[in-house]
Amino acid sequence: MLVQTTALSKRFKMGEVVVTALDAVDLGVAANAFCLILGPSGSGKSTLLHLLGGLDRATSGGIRVAEENIDTLDENGLARFRRTQVGFVFQSYNLISSMTALENVAFPMQFAAIPARQRKDRALELLTRVGMSDRAHHKPGELSGGQQQRVAVARALVNQPRLILADEPTGNLDTASGESIMELLGQLQREGATVVMVTHDTRLLKFATQQVHLLDGKIVPPPESAALNQE
Amino acid sequence: MKFLDLVRLVFENLGRRKARVGLTAFGVVIGTSAVLVLVSLAIGLQRNANEQLYGIGDLTQIQVYPNYGSEGDIRPYGGGGGGGGGSTATLITNQTLKDFAAIPGVAAVVPRDYFNGGLMMQMDRLEGYGSVIGIGLTNLTDLGLTARVGTTEITKTTVVVGSQVALNFYDPRLRPGQEPPAPPDLMGQTIRIVLIRWNQDGTETRKTIQARVVGVLEESRGEADWSIYLPLEEVTKWNEWALGRRINRDKDGYNQVIVKAADPRATLDITNIIVEMGYQAYTPQSFVEGINSFYLILQIIFGGVGAIALFVAAIGIANTMTMAILERTREIGLMKAIGATNRDVMSIFLGEAAGIGLVGGLGGVLFGWTAGQIINVLALAYLAGQSASQGGPPPSVAVYTPAWLPIFVVVFATLIGLLSGLYPALRAATLVPIQALKYE
Ligand SMILES: Nc1ncnc2c1ncn2[C@@H]1O[C@H](COP(=O)(O)OP(=O)(O)OP(=O)(O)O)[C@@H](O)[C@H]1O
Ligand SMILES: [Mg+2]
Repeated sequence: MLVQTTALSKRFKMGEVVVTALDAVDLGVAANAFCLILGPSGSGKSTLLHLLGGLDRATSGGIRVAEENIDTLDENGLARFRRTQVGFVFQSYNLISSMTALENVAFPMQFAAIPARQRKDRALELLTRVGMSDRAHHKPGELSGGQQQRVAVARALVNQPRLILADEPTGNLDTASGESIMELLGQLQREGATVVMVTHDTRLLKFATQQVHLLDGKIVPPPESAALNQE
Repeated sequence: MKFLDLVRLVFENLGRRKARVGLTAFGVVIGTSAVLVLVSLAIGLQRNANEQLYGIGDLTQIQVYPNYGSEGDIRPYGGGGGGGGGSTATLITNQTLKDFAAIPGVAAVVPRDYFNGGLMMQMDRLEGYGSVIGIGLTNLTDLGLTARVGTTEITKTTVVVGSQVALNFYDPRLRPGQEPPAPPDLMGQTIRIVLIRWNQDGTETRKTIQARVVGVLEESRGEADWSIYLPLEEVTKWNEWALGRRINRDKDGYNQVIVKAADPRATLDITNIIVEMGYQAYTPQSFVEGINSFYLILQIIFGGVGAIALFVAAIGIANTMTMAILERTREIGLMKAIGATNRDVMSIFLGEAAGIGLVGGLGGVLFGWTAGQIINVLALAYLAGQSASQGGPPPSVAVYTPAWLPIFVVVFATLIGLLSGLYPALRAATLVPIQALKYE
């Protein structure tokens, strides 16, 4: 297993009220899997993804990713983990608006202390791969949503992570653009990456090698409709 | 993150918000230029004062006199005729000279004496006066004096005169209304020194000595300008003649000694040691130090006024950075998501704050320096007019900026920026990545 959680729980305290976003989740994701996380709004999908990527800390339970117990890492350890093992793709792209596509893709490599020349070559290579090389010097504001998300995928790949975490990457896109992003992620998985992706869209199950259904912070068996869809 | 990448990123980030960064930096410009101009003004005033003090004397020289104690009897070779000179007196004997020479930092100990009697000088038809100084050295360069013509060496039969001595010669037969002759050129001339002794019975005895002028000194704006220098032994002989008895330096002491320090900074310490030994010692240095400490206080006060302006600017930087961090919370979250450490984030925001300080500091130096030059031109024109009507040399600077000041001011402004950014940067660095990413 590339990812293994044990009794993973996350609770949010909002004053007096405690919201249990994740409740004792045991999840294993094999290396080179394409894992889809599904569930209704508020079921804890994003929360689970954030914990897997070391963007937040669990309230209790353990997470092991790429032979490392990330729940025990300190701040610097987590930063290194995010830098070397994980690539994030967000629903809202999160590109830096003042930087060009090329600069956005190259940006993470600054924190990895890679020389400028190498950064540029690698960023251009990845932009070519996602079909955005002709827009390398455009700023996000000059790109469509689908194009911005391609740039974001390129950025997620830049440090050669073993795990790609995507939170509704197609949520803001029309069907065609969404489809092409999915093709891209599917291709990455076929080339050896492990993808964990959150979505509402059961039509995307055709890309999945594994599906996880959440309800109220717990893993539940797939509902009939979803199971059928996979066949 | 590499340092060069950090610097580039910091300035790119600053460039994204030119208007706000510019306005914030402008506050720093005002603060730093105020510090620069005010401190330069204080330094300029000090230099002016020191220029006016020029000629007060060599700052390495200490005048030492014997301490005649409570009797208040400061007449040399006291009329008592060798009655012991008073038990409380601290005489400067030959041994004392050796003691002075042994004080660390002393370069030379030079005894000197005036002639204690009537004195007149003659040259051709002219008569003159001047203060004759017998000096216990062979070359006046040891006292920091230089010759305008001839030599500074002193021998038995020659004299070296100060630059203004010639002005003291006049024609006694000159009738009223007649044009006075131009001051003579004393160099190479033989002058007659006429010594006058008043006897007990009211008569006077005269003695004439011939001496050739072998050197005229460069103007020093001090006592030397009006003095005629001879060997100490010569003047001692004359004093013995005027006194009618032999002078024993071990019993009578020396009337005056110049102690010369090797380094002006040691002058005050040596003076204090000599005073502790029981002698009277004076140095222009103590006066100059007093003036200097006054101007140092002035510099601190002026610098403090500027520092208040800088403090206000620092609050501006802190405010701008706090705003920036609120606006860029999602960006901070993203940076962390793609692998930035807390230290990276901290460095970026600290760098931006310091960058505002640096830009403001550079602008302030440019602005302040220009303002200083303008003040100089205006003030000097005004002061030159003043001194022309009141006499005295015009000041050469009003505002003086030493090279260290702009460097100091820029570094200081950068540090102020850095400090102002400390709290906002720390907040940015410790944000939980996902909370920052979710921030609206
Ligand atoms: N920072 C937070 N503070 C308080 N409660 C939170 C916080 N983040 C998430 N929650 C709560 O945790 C639960 C799970 O949220 P999460 O964002 O994981 O849901 P989701 O499955 O991603 O939903 P959606 O499909 O709408 O994105 C929700 O009830 C949410 O209100
Ligand atoms: Mg979500």
